Amino acid sequence: MDAALKAIAAPRRRDILALVHREELCAGDIAAHFDVTWPAVSQHLTVLKEAGLVEERRNGTQRLYRARPEGLADVKAFVEAFWDPRLEALKREAEREEKRKHGDDG
Amino acid sequence: METTAETTRVEREVAIAASPETVWEFLVDPEKAVRWMGIEATLDPQPGGRYRVVVLPGQVASGEFVELDPPRRAVWTWGWEPGSKGTVPVGASTVAIDLEPTDAGTLVRLTHALPADSASAHGEGWEHYLSRLAVAATGADPGADPWLSR
Repeated sequence: MDAALKAIAAPRRRDILALVHREELCAGDIAAHFDVTWPAVSQHLTVLKEAGLVEERRNGTQRLYRARPEGLADVKAFVEAFWDPRLEALKREAEREEKRKHGDDG
Repeated sequence: METTAETTRVEREVAIAASPETVWEFLVDPEKAVRWMGIEATLDPQPGGRYRVVVLPGQVASGEFVELDPPRRAVWTWGWEPGSKGTVPVGASTVAIDLEPTDAGTLVRLTHALPADSASAHGEGWEHYLSRLAVAATGADPGADPWLSR
């Protein structure tokens, strides 16, 4: 979880993630999309890989990278877990308020 | 327009037996907002207006209202104010709430886009924001939040 959070903290890594979400690419292809050096891209890919957000596949001498959509599932689950109890509270309070209003009417 | 900036998007729905007008008050009226969002709220419901909610002591969600269409749609930017770590999240994400009138009341749709765009989502702030959110989220019930024990 922490690794995934740290990995997507950098805008560049989010951009790389979005890129390999659409298609499997080698590091050179990825580097060509950005104004950064190959070693920099390679380092970003390592971080993304270790965070479980990207998977690497060897094809001969090539290493190909692709996003693991399930990698962000934890992040999503945490955000959902933040909102769910609050939305339940919103429901409870808004319904209570609605009843109170109707009570005033009657 | 497609951008590469949005990392992920959380969508939640809840059906409420109250009119959109009543639910709307809970989004923009500070006194009602604290009944579901936190313990203290400063809300200036106009585009560019302040959105600030003390979710728990020392844990402050902050942003700006972006769009208001009462009683249908409210959008605001969302991030955490610097805490002990002193990082500065700036509009790291966007929360949109849509209210759809139904026979039984209102269907509330919440969309939390993370992060909103890379221009405003400073890396460190985003990390700070998400870590805090993650900690908050581990205690699903806001009544017993692990932030307090940290």
